[in-house]
Amino acid sequence: MRKMTNLWALGFLFFGLLATSASCRRVNPNQLTAELLPLEGNPLIHLKILLKVGSANDPAGKEGLAQLTFNMLANGGTRTMTFKEISKKFYPMAASVNLRVDKEMSVFSGTIHRDNLEKFYAIFKEMLLDPGFREEDFARLRTNQLNFLEKTLISNMDEQFGKEILNLMLYNGHPYSYHPAGTVETVASITLDDVKAFYKEHAVQGNIIVGIAGGYSPDFPAKVKGDFAALPEGFTPRLSLPQQRFPAGLEFLIADKQTPATAISMGFPVSISRSDDDFFALWIAGSHFGEHRQHVSLLFQKIREERGQNYGDYAYIEHFIQGRDKFPATNYCRQQQYFSIWIRPLANSNRHFVIRQALRELRRLVEEGIPEERFELVRTYLLNYTRLYAQTLDERLGWQMDSHYYGYKDFLAEVQTRLPKLTREDVNRAIKKYLNFNNLHIAVITQDGESLKRALLENTPSPITYANPNMPRHILEEDKIIQAYPLEIKAENIKVVPAAEFFKKPGVPG
Amino acid sequence: MLKFISIGLALFLLSASPLPSQASKVFPYEYKIEELENGLKVVSIPLPNPHIISYYTIVRSGSRNEVEPGKSGFAHFFEHMMFKGTKKVPRASYDEFLTRLGAGTNGYTTDDYTCYFVVFAGRENLGKVVETEADRFINLYYDEEMLKTEAPVIEGEYYASVSSPDRRLAELLRDTAFEKHSYKHTTLGYLRDILDMPHQFEYSQLYKQRFYAPDNTILLIAGDFDHDELMAYVRKYYSSWQRSDYALVTPEEPPQKAPKRAHYPWPTQTLPRLAVAFHGPAYSDETIDKAALDLLAEISFSRSSPLYQKLVIEEQKCQTLNASFPDRRDPHLLTFSSIVKKDEDLPYVEEEIFKELERLKTEAVPVDQLADIKSNLKYSLANELGTTDGVAGTMAFYINLATDPGTLNRLFGLYEKVTPEDIQAVARKYFVKTASTVITLSGGKGQ
Repeated sequence: MRKMTNLWALGFLFFGLLATSASCRRVNPNQLTAELLPLEGNPLIHLKILLKVGSANDPAGKEGLAQLTFNMLANGGTRTMTFKEISKKFYPMAASVNLRVDKEMSVFSGTIHRDNLEKFYAIFKEMLLDPGFREEDFARLRTNQLNFLEKTLISNMDEQFGKEILNLMLYNGHPYSYHPAGTVETVASITLDDVKAFYKEHAVQGNIIVGIAGGYSPDFPAKVKGDFAALPEGFTPRLSLPQQRFPAGLEFLIADKQTPATAISMGFPVSISRSDDDFFALWIAGSHFGEHRQHVSLLFQKIREERGQNYGDYAYIEHFIQGRDKFPATNYCRQQQYFSIWIRPLANSNRHFVIRQALRELRRLVEEGIPEERFELVRTYLLNYTRLYAQTLDERLGWQMDSHYYGYKDFLAEVQTRLPKLTREDVNRAIKKYLNFNNLHIAVITQDGESLKRALLENTPSPITYANPNMPRHILEEDKIIQAYPLEIKAENIKVVPAAEFFKKPGVPG
Repeated sequence: MLKFISIGLALFLLSASPLPSQASKVFPYEYKIEELENGLKVVSIPLPNPHIISYYTIVRSGSRNEVEPGKSGFAHFFEHMMFKGTKKVPRASYDEFLTRLGAGTNGYTTDDYTCYFVVFAGRENLGKVVETEADRFINLYYDEEMLKTEAPVIEGEYYASVSSPDRRLAELLRDTAFEKHSYKHTTLGYLRDILDMPHQFEYSQLYKQRFYAPDNTILLIAGDFDHDELMAYVRKYYSSWQRSDYALVTPEEPPQKAPKRAHYPWPTQTLPRLAVAFHGPAYSDETIDKAALDLLAEISFSRSSPLYQKLVIEEQKCQTLNASFPDRRDPHLLTFSSIVKKDEDLPYVEEEIFKELERLKTEAVPVDQLADIKSNLKYSLANELGTTDGVAGTMAFYINLATDPGTLNRLFGLYEKVTPEDIQAVARKYFVKTASTVITLSGGKGQ
């Protein structure tokens, strides 16, 4: 047993050295690359096939094609097996293929116990390399995609709906402008031939990163790479994206629907990503202002904790998707990023007040910067919290891949090196450079949007009341300022649109 | 004196062997249970994963405990109040401690229990975490004004999911199916009770006294730590916590004598929903019924089942089809639910579900299908146990049910024993039309 273990260790060392030397060699853009994370003895193996292609690669008029195409692989049959047969084979292994499609990358993944690796991989490989493209799978998956756009997104999930309206405002006329599911009109126009053509064009070696993590045998990566090398050589050129349009003043897009609660998302483009040195300083600012679902968030403290307005209030300096627990999900890398504030649904009666409050807090952040004690606290927080980011195999491999995308050997290790060197002045400089409070896109989902529009334009005072008759004096004093906080908004910058009109076709409706 | 129970399970590291074929070994880690004199039970699961420690406090009080009128949602509300700090460590200091620690921390409330967790890196921080957590559970302090400020947050949480028809469906199902038992309401509670929470300061004190006590609480710690060191801290900081000895009596649900039905007209467009439910048994790792029902749910409604394949894949009438038989301390519902694609197909899908249940009463399940299901359950569990927090999160649920991690192995032992005849027997026993509740929801034209 001991001898066996040693042999395995040597094997991993050998393949690890190969991987290292491979990364030092010049990469042929027409061929696939691999990300390996061997963890000897781990009973699980996580497989990822990352395609450097996403919804931004959809042809004009066929928005939603990347998602539908890749869904045909993850949730459809292969040439030799129906999806029913695949489901039956996967079931005893508790296996599945998960799919995530974002703007510029898409990931197929699965975690499997090593008892079942061989059986699972044989099917996984066939699903991706030899898809069946059956009419019945196409009809089922396209209908599901249309139902999501027509009914679920605009009617059943207002928090997500608000974020998608903000996305539309940020990227109107840009390849990022729509949800990866596309729009009703364009998905309805997609044919099975479109799907086959998209697959043929983009399922090429240079677009693929093979990722493997866990307790696999030393020869497994070569097998996977060999199998996927059967795809034609070639690559999809990296998208040359147009510049994002910066909002001119406070621009509102209000989705009007019957609802007792108002959902709000707001933001603007930022010119940096994780690749830039300034990212780390701006990250501290973002975490201080609105760390996702943590008490340290200033917005959370002011809106929820002090005033009990809603369930939570957060801010982000890059596109954020929640993964396991509250940690950031991986493999959503993008060339262009944006700053955003997410106000979770609150009573319609308090919507105007909270819009004012969020904008006023943003102004204070930009004008006054981060206080010294908060700088030190948040930096310590991030240094420790990021140590929890990569726990599962999926997370560990995901962070490894994202590190390389943004030009780091190990981004989480970089955090430990970079953050201690930052000063409060670095953070405040980054705030001044990248954040602003005068020019924002503001997406609102609410009832009677016209009355909100009038109130915003007329700067109507918006006092709120509390269940607690003895609210602290300093809060009531601050409320007096907030309820009258003036917002300079041009009438043409507030648009009210019935909720059901969104996402029928690309662009802002109406 | 401490009561010391050491359970030396055969150390069967997942990392060293293939998945065990014997059900007794599905939970492979060694663990220890100790109990303080005040009744506080401590389950410790040291794991080889470096750095990370998951520290869970499981209070065996959830919406099940909300037996008094007007108090629905109170367990969840009290979970919020548990973050208000103490006189020694006020809220701001508590937040700062966790922030500096960089901990992943939160609480959640379920039907049967409320769970608080602190997941952090570095075993050198363990002592301080135990001290701080013990302080807030023993010495929680808030005044009426703090409660009045927190109460509207629950209203906000209600609004966060107000656009979800699935939540409305679940609320209506429970409210219709149950007559007496506190499972009648969801953990969030009725909106009318949520709106009254600002006036419940006195009741909140009574609630704490009854349920936030060591004899109703279990600590579960998994990860990179030394058991003896942990116990030294626990004894030091938790021993002064006073027992409650409060005995909760949950109302017994009377047998349902006639079918029930309700419909919810969703104001805006949505895909229609259907739920078909029956009253089932409580969780048990001793009697076969619940285990057999768990397998039945997989046989008839998993993605590989004939009905799923027919309705979702082939006929494409449904977008989803699920069975949910939650494990609860008291008898709960066996629910089959579906998101249907067209309103007019709701009756057809309902009929197909009832037909499938009738079939299960008369046709024996093939033995190989049963073997596939047992295999699926074991590998699903193995996937969940892949990280420190996966172990803690999974085990927290089972410990709430049985107060003992051994229940997981006993449950899987029962799964191994289930026969096709057991499946038929539970189908006949529980899927009786007169005890069914059917809920439908369909959308309107509004925006």
